[in-house]
Amino acid sequence: MSIKLGTNDLAKYPFLNEASTYVKETHFDLQEFDRTEMEFILNRSFNKIDNFIKNGETNYKLEKFEIEILTFLASLLILKSASIDIITKKFALFESMRFEKYLVEDLKNSFKDEKKRLILLKIFNEIFKIDIFCETIVNEFYKIRVIDYIHRSIVFHEEEWKLINRTVKNGFVYLNVNEIVRLFRNELSLLIIDKIKNMKLVTFPDKVLKKSQNLKIYWDSINKRSKVSDHVNKNRTTPPCIDHIYKVLNNGENLPHSARLLLATFLLFSEKNIEEIIEIFKKLPDYNEQITRYQLEHLSGKKGSSKKYFVPSCEKIKLQNLCHETFVCKGIINPIQLLGKRRDEIEKEEGKG
Amino acid sequence: MIFSTNSKSDLKNAADMLKENEPTLKIDFKNSEPSNNNQLWLKKTFKKYYFKYFINVALPEKINLHEFGFRYFDEKMYRHFSFNSPGEIYAFVLKFSPSDIYCSSSFYRNPSEPMDKKEWYGSELIFDIDGKDLHLECTLEHNYTRCHGCNLINAGVLEKCSNCNGSRLNVIEIPCKNCIFFLKKEVKKLINLLVEDFGIDSKTISVYFSGNNGFHLHVADKDYLPLLSVERAEISSYLLGKGFKLETLGLKINNDKKFIPILKNKQLLDCGWRGRILKNLKINFYSGKNADNNFIKQIEKLETIWNCDFQQKVAKTIEDLSVKIDPMVTMDIHRIFRLAGSLNSKSGFAKILCNDVDSFDPFKDACFFDKSTIEIVSKIDTSIFFKGKKYNLNKGSNSVPEYVAVYLISKGLADINLKEI
Repeated sequence: MSIKLGTNDLAKYPFLNEASTYVKETHFDLQEFDRTEMEFILNRSFNKIDNFIKNGETNYKLEKFEIEILTFLASLLILKSASIDIITKKFALFESMRFEKYLVEDLKNSFKDEKKRLILLKIFNEIFKIDIFCETIVNEFYKIRVIDYIHRSIVFHEEEWKLINRTVKNGFVYLNVNEIVRLFRNELSLLIIDKIKNMKLVTFPDKVLKKSQNLKIYWDSINKRSKVSDHVNKNRTTPPCIDHIYKVLNNGENLPHSARLLLATFLLFSEKNIEEIIEIFKKLPDYNEQITRYQLEHLSGKKGSSKKYFVPSCEKIKLQNLCHETFVCKGIINPIQLLGKRRDEIEKEEGKG
Repeated sequence: MIFSTNSKSDLKNAADMLKENEPTLKIDFKNSEPSNNNQLWLKKTFKKYYFKYFINVALPEKINLHEFGFRYFDEKMYRHFSFNSPGEIYAFVLKFSPSDIYCSSSFYRNPSEPMDKKEWYGSELIFDIDGKDLHLECTLEHNYTRCHGCNLINAGVLEKCSNCNGSRLNVIEIPCKNCIFFLKKEVKKLINLLVEDFGIDSKTISVYFSGNNGFHLHVADKDYLPLLSVERAEISSYLLGKGFKLETLGLKINNDKKFIPILKNKQLLDCGWRGRILKNLKINFYSGKNADNNFIKQIEKLETIWNCDFQQKVAKTIEDLSVKIDPMVTMDIHRIFRLAGSLNSKSGFAKILCNDVDSFDPFKDACFFDKSTIEIVSKIDTSIFFKGKKYNLNKGSNSVPEYVAVYLISKGLADINLKEI
């Protein structure tokens, strides 16, 4: 049975193939973004990106589907032209969180509306290449194959995502709508990043270039501040696990909760003050100053139980898949043991061995 | 079924193969020689087994995609071998008589290359249930402890040698009927979880006796082949019952140590670990208006009967219901496993497919040596059951059937009489 998406669906999910088909069918030429009537679309796109990266704000209000599709397309063009990885990743994360909200609403309604359900199943199949099944004997639950679940859930570090804490039966994992959508957030975000990376354009419309130039100027201005790794004393040995976290941060990628905790406790123990640490955490795509500050104050014992959190042990770091052991780690049980050592001392020791 | 037993036609021209392929065999393997009489005799006896029973050896269908490894009687391990046909392996085994034969559960484009160049395709899902992980009390009685200092074999599992008080000891495992019973129980628990929770077709699960003191389960379900190590670790963790949160049962304990219901929808309480725990604790499900209250009241009532707190009871239940697999074996996608049908040098038993787990007896079904009489020198007084018959041995010279001799010598409990060499 062929399932046709409605215009409202295209407005919510402009990354779908049918949205691209719509653009093709209208014979829309990208150079048309230079037309005066299109300024509204370009401004809307730019403001959306701007709001994401500066304020972490998302607007869920939907316009007509044509406007939403073109806004999405213009946003991709601006980001492609700017070619700033961190901004692209930040945009992808916020945009995927926005789509996530629509998906949750639609999935909730889908239990009573078969047509809606079929559309959503089609969306999941098209974007995530996965079949989700509606469990008719259990109200308001969807189920996915155990393997599909494990493949996605292993990136989550919270215990509630562990398979043992899920309802597993006959090769399926049962999930409510919030859970099923949360499970796919990373993939949605990667899909958007891929769309931007795979765009092949020889020339960009002038007005798109102008917008991307503004973005670059803004980015250069905030990037005058030091790089994350500059916060580290070059003479001292940085534990490889912390080094790896810095690399991830500098790439503008997200960090799991456990990695954030490791970095924060390590920096606090290295006698960095909260302001300096906040500066480092600003690179996170989902950075929120209020939450970051609260959590750092909590970890440092200034808030909550006044208990100061210690840096996790190497054993725990290994269990959390955050260990990137090298020769410098020889004989240590906690990364802070490397703080007192100079790199040349370790290399000398290694040479002797 | 990914593994298949060799047909006679495959092996028909093996003798010719031996000559044809000799130049291609790895040279370094040729230099390993047994260092003592026991090893020399075992090598000769193992060779006889492979000559007679190579048909037992279940080789993978696509041999050329697997890595093979061998242990020789000098106890050194040789890896990264590849073969194109059953005949090539047969020729190799007869030529070098290895003590153990291993094959990767993984498929590689280049199986004989170093690990980083092998190009991994996928790997069968494998579980290992080992007797030592069951921590059975009976093992303290019937196992032996060998002292590295004075070489004395002590009866039972000791912390210090009864002769020299040395603490460098190793345990010699001699599984008893009780051990085999509990190992089988774990196998059945594992199959049950794989079928009921993971939906794996039982026809794709093969149970093998490991050849010593455990069982291996191979799952030949194509869907599981591409799973990465970390994903396999999650499956192991599920089977071991690790990381269970009390909240998963639909309640939490507040600061006043009172139970608070947290799941409004209790329709799915009867599935997976949640269902298994509640069923084991005989906690019933309720529906209707007072479902939550009735659920909590029931637990409070049971707590007084058990005279122990609910969390402890849940932890104990998980311990009982979990399967005692070795998680490292399941998650290691580059491991090579004992090849089905090959001999285990720790016992002389074959790793063998168990078509009926309940009736399987390793001391009968995994034992392929003959009953010809062999002279051995036992290091201990012991008695052992083989093929339904009890053999009493005194320390010193004894005449026993070949299968008993192979077992005791492989275990390090006896030496071969020189006249047998």
